[in-house]
Amino acid sequence: MNVLVLSGYGINCENETLHAFKVVGFKGKIIHINDLIQNPKQLNNYQVFAIPGGFSYGDDTGSGNAMAKKIMTNLYDQLIDFSLKDKLIIGICNGCQILINLGLVPSLNKKDPEVALIENKSGNYECRWVDVKVSNNKSPWLKNISTLNLPVAHQEGQFMIPINLLKSIKANNLIGLQYINHRKKLAKGQFPFNPNGSKDDIAALTNQNGNVLAMMPHPERAFYNYHIPNWQSKTLKKFGDGYKIFMNANKFFA
Amino acid sequence: MTNTIQILSIEKTGKESSLQKEHNNKSIKIIDGYFFSRNLDDQKFTKISKLISNDVSQTILTKKNVKKVLSSYSNFNWVVEIKFLPGVTDNIATTVKEIIKDNLNSSFKSFELGSTKIILIKGRKEDITKISKNEANPLIQTIKIYPFKQYLDNFKKNQFKIEKVKLPKKKYSKKEINLDISDHQLSLIGKLGIEENDKSRRGTLGLDLESLKVIRNYFSAIKRKPTDVEIETLAQTWSEHCKHKIFSAKIDDIQEGIFKKYIKGATEKIIQLRKDNFCVSLFTDNAGGIEFNKDWIICHKVETHNTPSALDPFGGAITGIVGVNRDCLGFGKGAKPIANTYAYYLADPNKKYQLYRQKNNKDPMLPANFIAKGIISGVRVGGNCSGIPTPQGNVYFDDRFAGKPLVFCGTVGIIPKKIKGKLSHKKKANPGDIILMAGGRVGKDGIHGATFSSEELDPNSPVSAVQIGDPITQKKMSDVIIRELRDENLYSSITDNGAGGLSSSIGEMAKESGGFIVNLEKVPLKYNGLYPWEIWVSESQERMTLAVPPANVKKVIKRFNARGVEATIIGKFIKKDKAIVKYNKTEILNLDMEFLHEGYPKLNLKTSFPKIKKEKKKIIKKSSLIDKLHKLLSSPNIVSKEFIATQYDHEVQATSIIKPLQGEGRVFGNATAIKPIFDDEKSIALSQAAYPQYAETNPYDMAGCSIDTAYKNLIVSGANSKKIAILDNFCWCSSDEPDRLYQLKEAAKACYDYAVAYQSPFISGKDSMFNDFKGFDKTGKSVKISIPPTLLISSIGVVDKISHLTKITPDDGDILLVLGNTCNELQDSVYSKIIGYEKSKNPVVNSKDALRIYRNFEKANKLGIINSAIGIDLGGIGIAVTKMAIASKKGLTFDLKLKNKISVDQFLFSETQSRILVSLKKNKLPNFKKIFKASDYTIIGKCTGSDVIEFKDNKKIMRGKISDFAKSYKQNIKGL
Repeated sequence: MNVLVLSGYGINCENETLHAFKVVGFKGKIIHINDLIQNPKQLNNYQVFAIPGGFSYGDDTGSGNAMAKKIMTNLYDQLIDFSLKDKLIIGICNGCQILINLGLVPSLNKKDPEVALIENKSGNYECRWVDVKVSNNKSPWLKNISTLNLPVAHQEGQFMIPINLLKSIKANNLIGLQYINHRKKLAKGQFPFNPNGSKDDIAALTNQNGNVLAMMPHPERAFYNYHIPNWQSKTLKKFGDGYKIFMNANKFFA
Repeated sequence: MTNTIQILSIEKTGKESSLQKEHNNKSIKIIDGYFFSRNLDDQKFTKISKLISNDVSQTILTKKNVKKVLSSYSNFNWVVEIKFLPGVTDNIATTVKEIIKDNLNSSFKSFELGSTKIILIKGRKEDITKISKNEANPLIQTIKIYPFKQYLDNFKKNQFKIEKVKLPKKKYSKKEINLDISDHQLSLIGKLGIEENDKSRRGTLGLDLESLKVIRNYFSAIKRKPTDVEIETLAQTWSEHCKHKIFSAKIDDIQEGIFKKYIKGATEKIIQLRKDNFCVSLFTDNAGGIEFNKDWIICHKVETHNTPSALDPFGGAITGIVGVNRDCLGFGKGAKPIANTYAYYLADPNKKYQLYRQKNNKDPMLPANFIAKGIISGVRVGGNCSGIPTPQGNVYFDDRFAGKPLVFCGTVGIIPKKIKGKLSHKKKANPGDIILMAGGRVGKDGIHGATFSSEELDPNSPVSAVQIGDPITQKKMSDVIIRELRDENLYSSITDNGAGGLSSSIGEMAKESGGFIVNLEKVPLKYNGLYPWEIWVSESQERMTLAVPPANVKKVIKRFNARGVEATIIGKFIKKDKAIVKYNKTEILNLDMEFLHEGYPKLNLKTSFPKIKKEKKKIIKKSSLIDKLHKLLSSPNIVSKEFIATQYDHEVQATSIIKPLQGEGRVFGNATAIKPIFDDEKSIALSQAAYPQYAETNPYDMAGCSIDTAYKNLIVSGANSKKIAILDNFCWCSSDEPDRLYQLKEAAKACYDYAVAYQSPFISGKDSMFNDFKGFDKTGKSVKISIPPTLLISSIGVVDKISHLTKITPDDGDILLVLGNTCNELQDSVYSKIIGYEKSKNPVVNSKDALRIYRNFEKANKLGIINSAIGIDLGGIGIAVTKMAIASKKGLTFDLKLKNKISVDQFLFSETQSRILVSLKKNKLPNFKKIFKASDYTIIGKCTGSDVIEFKDNKKIMRGKISDFAKSYKQNIKGL
């Protein structure tokens, strides 16, 4: 099981993302986007492609846009190909923004991007922990998980989806994660449970096969128990909730 | 054909809603504009606009649709167009150029573009003017206000104009400066700068008459005139900012100066006493390094960026944080930045100070809230974009920061002890090594930054001193260095380009080899037309200088280029002790290294005892205890800084272990911790403290309090007392006045005494000596506002085990105790400012008592006796207990049986140092008593788990709801 983790131009969560994959049993490496463009064939040696969080191109012209355009020009076909195989792709935070801008998720009309991630309703960067529930447990990434406690850290995490598309997203069961409140009910847009005002409390979307997951929260930052806020007051297992997502990738190939 | 691409968001953006709210106007829309230096044909327009916009969320404005699209939002009638002045860093434009280059790599080369923010409103001209004042800074941006009709017209006629740097085409000929002139003429060179042929002056050099005379003597001895480049270089190298002349000067009877005697002296003494390997690299490098574990070194550095932040708060602060990140990159062979810290000392953002740098209400100082907001967002963008967590910080408000805000930015870095078998903290540029400049290009940014930050802020301060950091360029460069080049040992030395630019970085590194030869024409420029001296001293950001063995140069450059980073050979290091700079083969600088670095005249300073300005007695306002608690909790210096903590990504790198917001009730902590290595359970605890409020009364005790608090906070967090190091950042005022120097000497003396007492070494420090504002108030009266002397002590410590990390939240049934005795020390406290006081004193730290308590606390904590703990600081015990209750959402009850003839208010609000509030499980009390002697603690109450805090004073019971206290504590700071 091999994972390839993307880096370069301001992506900055590659180390901890690779670490998480390694702990659950993957081998893999971090690759600079320019090296991947030089030799895209190496994608064949990997089963998982991860686009971690960060600030590619400083979020200028919209978060994830510039990197998505670079991938579109240089790697698009290879990535589509990868997504159509029995392989997994995950985009976390900035990676999520990149996948959405590429249109790899939700990928219903298979052409242009259909969804946008816009600035948080608060207008602020939000670094805080949230609860999410798994809405699509058919995705290999999210199998057998009901809720997760994870941190978000973004300026542009509000899913904007045209109404008709939202209908088909729901019909096709492509909502991966949704923000919930302290009573474990949908946040209904209420801050800070829903940190960005996302439509239908959406925190993650998948493609139709469920093998591509674009999620705003950071599972790699909720990997160990000591990552969890106020861990000293809680009885905890060794790992935090983020571990489950990475472990699911392992199970998919096991 | 068009020369602009303008994009707007279909739905209301967060920024738009906050503007609409702020200005109470629902008709405000923001457009992202890009102005091109040449026309785009339709095909290019379509291609480019598709590349830089989002089909789903945005609309691209065209000549055809603009009127219709905009009218669907409102009947706009005014427009403000905000764009950067020529030469100011425009990060968005850089990205757009890169996108175009990456994706359309043909046919579109020679163009310029600028990013522009266009705001449309429906309202009056006054409204748009007001908005523009809040959204733009005239020092770095042009602001054009015009009617909406004209905007549509501009669209139709391609009238949007980009501001280009237009420097006269000048042919450089070597400029020699005649120093055989009158003292008056000589001092004008120092004060106003070198005279150009057209009689204009270049801007202050910050050289005093004596220094200029030394320079004159040097050159008359070698029988030639100095060149302009030589004088500029000496001014940079000898600046207060670079040489710290005041700290190294003879002061009264202290021959070796206060730095050597008190700061370095303390560390030397401690190393001598401790005999361990804790201190690795001190004072000589860009940051100070200590041992983390057997394989890793951590380093820490804190810088200030005060003057630039007064002029351009966002730019100043972002430059401050990415600048100090480079200090880590330049530590040893290059440490990876793993945490940022911040501390801001600001004027009240809710007040209008109305200060002007020139008479007749000209050249106004920026409003206090503009400064505060700009600084907070500058560090946010710098830290977040760089992928460095920012867990630790604080903010303090006082009117005396109205003329100059203090912006402290710190970074912690980590580096393996050995790289390819060699000690990583040792570096040496060897003769023959190539000088390589990597990262950003050179422009006029920050010309005279080093010389100017050493001067008071007055009307002649050059505005070109402003820079804006570009975190992404730096991140790209940093990744190559830390991940690829360093671990292959491809270079022999590295340092950052900060104050003084190349003149400073190369000058410093050349000490390792002997000297250097630089060819300035090789330096890549942002735009043409820079004079050689400008290239040499420019402070353009995001650059590192590397010494690379010739055999590795090709490989290193190739590696940089493959990651989209520019790297250029600009000279070589030589063995001879000579500093030589050439420009197109003409030698324009040739100095002895010894003269360059040590030739400056040493100061001889005298101090005198200052008049002590005692705080006037204030009448105590009658109110209930609960009411007083609410007033203190909601006061700006105590109120929660959560709104900053949630803007600053403190989770990136997945190292956050003690977060800035603590407990279910999210209390803003005074210490935080990160766990930097996944497979080692050791953590790094961080804290900081400064007490400017105590400075005027007693600077010695002020410094004592700062050290004590910064040290104590780490002890409380669980750090190993043998592994705590501290950093000093002195921000002083009027340091040419004997009474200010007296305060400085006293504070430095305390630094020695307390550091040695705690055996906590200084590992790095910095000073900024002239934080004064000289200008005018709104009536035209001349005013001078000096900051109160501020000594920020930053502490960094190692926590050996996860189980040693403490929490601030007690559990039901816990007993609450105060460690340390409480005295009547209310003078200059938060309580005294808000409620008043009768007769009181400033806190004085008794290091012997403090140490006994700290050592015992450490012991008890390691044994698992302590259940929760919080350092007592501003607002005293009263605020500490309230914070515990808010954090845990658990009720507490107190029985105020007081000893020592102290009143309830004195007991609850006195800011006596060295005290810790702790909670224990009941059954741990016997073990606790075995460690602590009875006179070192007071049992004050217990945790009830109810929803109230209750104080019992004899028979009187006072009660307040935790949720109400939380409300007061979490109030917004007015003006922010």
